[in-house]
Amino acid sequence: MTESTDFNLSHFIESHQDKLLESWMKGLLPEWRRKHPQSVDEDTLRRQSRQLLDGLAKLLAGQLTESWEPPLDHSITLLLRNLSSARVKQGYRAADIAHYLVTLKRVLIHALLQENLTGDLSRFGDLLATVEIATDSLTTLIYEIYAETRERIIAQQSLSLLELSTPVVRLWDRVVMVPLVGVIDTARARQVTERLLESIAKFEATVAIIDVTGVPILDTSVAGHLMKTIAAAQMLGARVVMTGISPDGAQTLVKLGVNFSEIPTRATLRAGVAEALLLVGKRILSIKEEQ
Amino acid sequence: MNAPVEEVVYIVPILDSTDVLKARQSARELAARLKLGSADQTRLATAVSELTRNVLQYAGQGQCKIIDASSDTQTRITVVVEDHGPGIPDIELAMRDGYSTSGGLGAGLPGVQRLMDEFHLISQSGHTCLTITMSRPRLAL
Repeated sequence: MTESTDFNLSHFIESHQDKLLESWMKGLLPEWRRKHPQSVDEDTLRRQSRQLLDGLAKLLAGQLTESWEPPLDHSITLLLRNLSSARVKQGYRAADIAHYLVTLKRVLIHALLQENLTGDLSRFGDLLATVEIATDSLTTLIYEIYAETRERIIAQQSLSLLELSTPVVRLWDRVVMVPLVGVIDTARARQVTERLLESIAKFEATVAIIDVTGVPILDTSVAGHLMKTIAAAQMLGARVVMTGISPDGAQTLVKLGVNFSEIPTRATLRAGVAEALLLVGKRILSIKEEQ
Repeated sequence: MNAPVEEVVYIVPILDSTDVLKARQSARELAARLKLGSADQTRLATAVSELTRNVLQYAGQGQCKIIDASSDTQTRITVVVEDHGPGIPDIELAMRDGYSTSGGLGAGLPGVQRLMDEFHLISQSGHTCLTITMSRPRLAL
């Protein structure tokens, strides 16, 4: 039986590394494999986890107070950062990632319990507390990194959404179309207006179709933005046809007192396209009729 | 007949424009759950959208409470939108069609009143509270 006063946690982790790693992976892999069968690369995971155990052993060589936090430039921090952000991109949930370190904590405590260190209970309690402080703060860290990565992804997505969401399509000679999808706020409205005006000028369009099928709610703010866009397009000499107002939307707009009656509107994009083509003197015929 | 039980179904704090979406989606969801038609769902969602957007624009932040006050005989949804902003200086003017202090269409408040069955507005500096209600007779089962 080891005397607990001489017991060195750092040394313990180093000397039992293989065994600890085995039980850690045994506790972790079945669940990760079940949830993410495609993305578990066992070799990489083992290598990273071994490095983590190394790093942990080094950390535990020093004294950990209760307010201890892993230093930002420590190898273990960088390791967790890589591990966590890679898993986020593979679609792991926060709980899955936390599970990684929770399993480590369980394995460490379990291994310590088997060491029969009960000779000096207060020293044994200190050891458990140290393990707890270390693994808990690492779990907090990994969670923070997870949230950070998620936030960054969301920020990137909303940026690219803004980029993607206002394509102006050239439908035919002198006919352009903007399909509006989603929420029209001031920023989006400005962007739609800019792109539409650019395309009208570029394609010398005389008709612009604005399709609002994908706009969930037409309230006065959205209507106000649309009206400004339409006025600007008309100033460039384009006639605007608005399409895709739903029956519910139409009733609501009338009640609100929003008046689109000066603009030709059509219920469907199909009718709007026909109207637009008519305005430039074209129409769509079936091949049979033409013959 | 049972007395109507008022149940607050959603409380949405209005802090930025995503909360406007959250509030109106919640309103639409409740309307759908209470089996109101899609036109009524759109009406309610639009009204909530108007009022919560006003909160953001004029007061910066506030709160939107969506209440199910249905009884045996009618489906009744009440929405209370409150803020602690500067208040509406002239309510009569604000309720006039085409009047806006912000360059908007000036259709928001009077429009909401037309969309809803009941409309109460109290406003003073530091507290503005709008209560709107949509009620429909409940169809016999």
